[in-house]
Amino acid sequence: MTVPPGAAGPAGGAPLLTVRGLRISSRLQGVDRVITTGSDFSLAPGETLGIVGESGSGKSLTARALIGLLPAGVHAEGEVEYRGRDILKLPERQLRQIRGSELAMIFQDPFTMLNPLMRCGAQIVELLRDERGRPLKRARARQEAARRLAEVGIADAAVADAYPFELSGGMRQRVGIAAAIARDPQVLIADEPSTALDVTTQREILARLREVQQTRGMGLILITHDLRVAFALCDRVLVLYAGSVLEVATAGAMEAEPLHPYTLGLLLSDPPVDRRLSHMAAIPGSVPSPDDVATSCAFAPRCEWRAEICTAATPPLAEVAPARWSACVRVDGIEPLMQEARSETMAARLDHEQEVALAQETGQDSAVVVTRDVEKVFGESGQSGRRVTALKGVSIEIGADEAVGLVGESGSGKSTLGRCLVGLETPTAGTIVVNGIDTSQTGRLSAADRRRLRRTVQMVFQDPYSTLNPVRTVGSTLGEALSAADGQIRDVRKAVGELLERVGLPVRYAERKPVALSGGERQRVAVARALAVRPRLIVCDEPVSALDVSVQAQILNLLAEVRREFGVSYLFITHDLAVVRQVAERVYVLCQGEVVEQGATGDVLDNPQDPYTRKLVDSIPSSDETWLAQADEAAQDSTAQAASTPQGA
Amino acid sequence: MRARQITFFLTRRLLALIVLLLLISFLIFGLLYLAPGNAIQVLLGTHPASPAAIAALEAKYHLNDSFFVQYLLWLKGAVHLNLGVSIQSGQTVTSLISSRIGVTIFLGVYAFLLAVLIGIPAGIASAMRNRTAADRTIVGISLIGVSVPAFVSGIFLLYLLAIDAGWFPVYGPGTGFPDRLWHLTLPAFALAFGVMALIVKLTRAAMITALEQDYIAFAQARGVGPLRIITRYALRNSAGPIITAGGLILGVVLTGAVLVEQVFALPGIGTLLITSVESKDVPVVQGFTLLAAAILIGANFLIDLCYLFIDPRITAGRGVR
Amino acid sequence: MTVITAPDTGVLVSPRKRGRRRPSLLILLSFLIVLLVVACALFGSLLAPFGANAQNLIVATQAPSAHHLLGTDDFGRDILSRIIVGARAAVIGPALIAVGALIVGNVLGLVAGYFGGRVDYFIMRLADLVWALPGLLIAIVVVGVIGGGYYVAVVVLVVLTFPIDARIVRGAVLQQRNMPYVEAAETLGIARSRIMLRHIWPNILPLVVANTFLNFAFSLVALSALSFLGLGVPLNTPDWGGMLSQNLSLIQGNAMACLAPAIALVLTAVSMNLIGDWSYERLSDRGRAR
Repeated sequence: MTVPPGAAGPAGGAPLLTVRGLRISSRLQGVDRVITTGSDFSLAPGETLGIVGESGSGKSLTARALIGLLPAGVHAEGEVEYRGRDILKLPERQLRQIRGSELAMIFQDPFTMLNPLMRCGAQIVELLRDERGRPLKRARARQEAARRLAEVGIADAAVADAYPFELSGGMRQRVGIAAAIARDPQVLIADEPSTALDVTTQREILARLREVQQTRGMGLILITHDLRVAFALCDRVLVLYAGSVLEVATAGAMEAEPLHPYTLGLLLSDPPVDRRLSHMAAIPGSVPSPDDVATSCAFAPRCEWRAEICTAATPPLAEVAPARWSACVRVDGIEPLMQEARSETMAARLDHEQEVALAQETGQDSAVVVTRDVEKVFGESGQSGRRVTALKGVSIEIGADEAVGLVGESGSGKSTLGRCLVGLETPTAGTIVVNGIDTSQTGRLSAADRRRLRRTVQMVFQDPYSTLNPVRTVGSTLGEALSAADGQIRDVRKAVGELLERVGLPVRYAERKPVALSGGERQRVAVARALAVRPRLIVCDEPVSALDVSVQAQILNLLAEVRREFGVSYLFITHDLAVVRQVAERVYVLCQGEVVEQGATGDVLDNPQDPYTRKLVDSIPSSDETWLAQADEAAQDSTAQAASTPQGA
Repeated sequence: MRARQITFFLTRRLLALIVLLLLISFLIFGLLYLAPGNAIQVLLGTHPASPAAIAALEAKYHLNDSFFVQYLLWLKGAVHLNLGVSIQSGQTVTSLISSRIGVTIFLGVYAFLLAVLIGIPAGIASAMRNRTAADRTIVGISLIGVSVPAFVSGIFLLYLLAIDAGWFPVYGPGTGFPDRLWHLTLPAFALAFGVMALIVKLTRAAMITALEQDYIAFAQARGVGPLRIITRYALRNSAGPIITAGGLILGVVLTGAVLVEQVFALPGIGTLLITSVESKDVPVVQGFTLLAAAILIGANFLIDLCYLFIDPRITAGRGVR
Repeated sequence: MTVITAPDTGVLVSPRKRGRRRPSLLILLSFLIVLLVVACALFGSLLAPFGANAQNLIVATQAPSAHHLLGTDDFGRDILSRIIVGARAAVIGPALIAVGALIVGNVLGLVAGYFGGRVDYFIMRLADLVWALPGLLIAIVVVGVIGGGYYVAVVVLVVLTFPIDARIVRGAVLQQRNMPYVEAAETLGIARSRIMLRHIWPNILPLVVANTFLNFAFSLVALSALSFLGLGVPLNTPDWGGMLSQNLSLIQGNAMACLAPAIALVLTAVSMNLIGDWSYERLSDRGRAR
């Protein structure tokens, strides 16, 4: 049995939580499935441990196992020791006593985490008891609620009387944190606490978490899929992949030099925000299910340095250097190779001049799309005034063979603009000219014009799991798209096969239904579908946001290849500045329906002029010490400027 | 702010329901003309068709006025609780109904209480023990309950417990409270079976949905006890869908009562309806349906009222802090 | 009438190896019963041992015997034969209602869900109107007053069922309508009718199929209730509901005369309900859109 990798925390002393050989599996309908294969780790008082994993890594269920809240049909073996007791073996009654008072957990989605029919204050104080063990009286309860809210940065005590639906996402998450720590637990487990929030809100929530943790001296386990967030917030990081722990190290050490090919791959496929790479390093393939790799190194099928020994048995997590644990048996041998790969990727950057030159070169030809003062208002007049102005006069241009980025947070109107270009929405004012056709009033176009429009602009959507019709095979979907483009097409099967090959999928996939494809593969089919009509412009609405990081880079590379081969333009809509840098030469920054800044991507991101853009750039997680510390100042700055923003956290 | 929005919401609903009731009453009134034969033949029934009788009818029912005027006059009478006179018996419709409604109300309330007191806990238990043997049993039983019409359960109960075992009387409503309770037990159970099944299905579905939500897991993670989770979290959030079906449930009770009264020969308004329909005693039929419609629509309004207290999101003020 | 589809309990699908799950014994039994009933409906007179209307007063009101497996009624007619032949009346009406509501409800629901606007408004108001009104009661009143019979009842029930169906379908269509795959099809310029029929409808099929079975079961019960009240089929046609009311007085002489049609009714309705719930779960599992 390996000694669990632990570090003495800042205060020294025994670890709070020790996990040994945690094996989680599920039994549904008589079938056993492995979810994790033996995790070992520990948490010291006052320490922040990050558990990083992509989808299917088992990180969320690991979190739930720590607190004894596994769903029905899922069970855990091994040992989770807290203060001398094994959580996994405790009866439910004792577990209930520990939960909330010793171990607490907050969940990912602030919109579903709180009871919608209970006031926020009530949810925070409902388990507090006075000295005699009785529920708090009204006045005292209000006091306590106000105190807890202040602790998470909510100064307005009236929030305690509000129902969750009256608050924004960031506020709800804070209420959630307050409720979770109301009884002063020793350990807080945060399961993706900021994933569902805007990037600017994310920074504030993470800063809040850090502050609360430090004031109380709690141990914090942060579950996340985002390495950057882990490096920004955590002392130590544990990397989980397809159910196996692959590496454990301190955040700084891991960021400087990862000792496992997967961690390296993850780091390298994460797009950098400060430079554009000519080619993104992507990990080929997709995340396997833990069952399939339970008897070998989980990462072996995708690893470029795999050898016989990697698939022979499961490599154990071993201490390969002081306080560095890795499950790669070849780590000593391949270390120089890994370093080489890393420096190669770093070198593949375009320097600033090249980037700006790129922006000026492209788009010189006639514009494919010109929009002028486009406005879009939702909501019917006559209803009790629920009108939302999504776009307030937006003017953008997209040239031929040009990739233009459209960046903004939720509510900025970026998706709406994309949809207007494709014809899924009609603007309430302004003009949109696509390839010479004025499309602002799609109803008044002739049929021929409408057909031309369809062949000029197409769209790739965000959610790979609903972008394809689940009851149709891939071939049928693509065939339909091809027929829509060219009614006279003769050999549909052949054309479908060619399309699939263009997007890097084997031809036999044509017979499969979407349910048999991974997220990344489905997105490739979506790109193929958009290509079927040979458009001049493809609007990509957050095409990689729902994908794992390791797959994200593949799709970005695919988009680049497609562009090279077909000369198609992109309107790349995203909230992620790092991603937009890799794809687009020019970028527009949208804030609440207005363009606040535009220009060459390199210029805008390195040297933002508009305060909102600056705020966006600053909100990108960085392992720099000051990132969290200055979160509060940044929040105050922006609230002072934009007093009417409804999405303030 | 809340108060104003509540009154706004309620008045809108009330107006909508009144319009609905008027529409239905219009259709009900039209029944007279749906019956075979012309209005006079219907109204005569089995009485001889002498010119005097016909003239009397024409005067009484204003048959020479336009359809619309007749409707308004009838409606006016209805509002004053004057629903006309039964063709068969000559008694006023109102007195016929009021003399018989007692039995039906007793039966309906008895059955409803049974259904709710057994059905809701069963639904909750079923949801909490999802996928266990207990759950499957309860689901199975409620499936049967939904498939078996009230008169069939009535017949089975009648045969097994009244005729065969002799524990309960075979027919009649009984006199005095305890006697009536005993007489109406079998009919009430027969009626309750179907309603109970419906309630179990609804409650179970609503509870399962509620229990799957994140806020339940979060409450558990904070150490909230199971009883409070059921009451304060799951039930509260399920109450909406269950209560919304209240109108449906009332309809099922009403229909079932009509059928069960036939099986057990109870002198309630159900049997009144059947005999009136068979003899084409239109005024009585109109009176019954108008009453039923008013009750159902009133119940729907009360349900909307309840909903307000349950879910603050209905009349929420806008604005995010 | 309403589809309150409860989540899976495992009653209906027994667990086997991953992949294909064979239906449980219960479902197979249900299918068997339904097939039997349909066979009786189609070939009743061939399968019945005696003529359904053949009277034989000598053997009136006899308990079950080897000769008459379920005994006889007060006219000496063989109960078993009447039940077999009665399957036709039991099945035709509900089938018509289920199919009628299916067609009208689906077309209106698709149009309402996809296009919104006035059709949508109309459907919702209609469904609101019909929602809490007890369909059976209305059928009783209308059929009774008009003096019509079986087919009047069928029409009334179709009229009272389709708005609910339309609303259910509309809800399901709305869910699908905003999904990317539908929007992608629109962006490609695919005809709207094709989108509705070939893209959206196959994805709401589980709901539609389940609903149809449940409608059938409900209509079966409703029509039998009408027959029980003497408002359905003409008096001499063998019909389960009618037999129930006519033979109620015989309950002490030959209980089976009354209980047998009741059992037939219950078995058929339960089987249909089971199949309806099962088909919903089964079809929903085939990776349909979430």
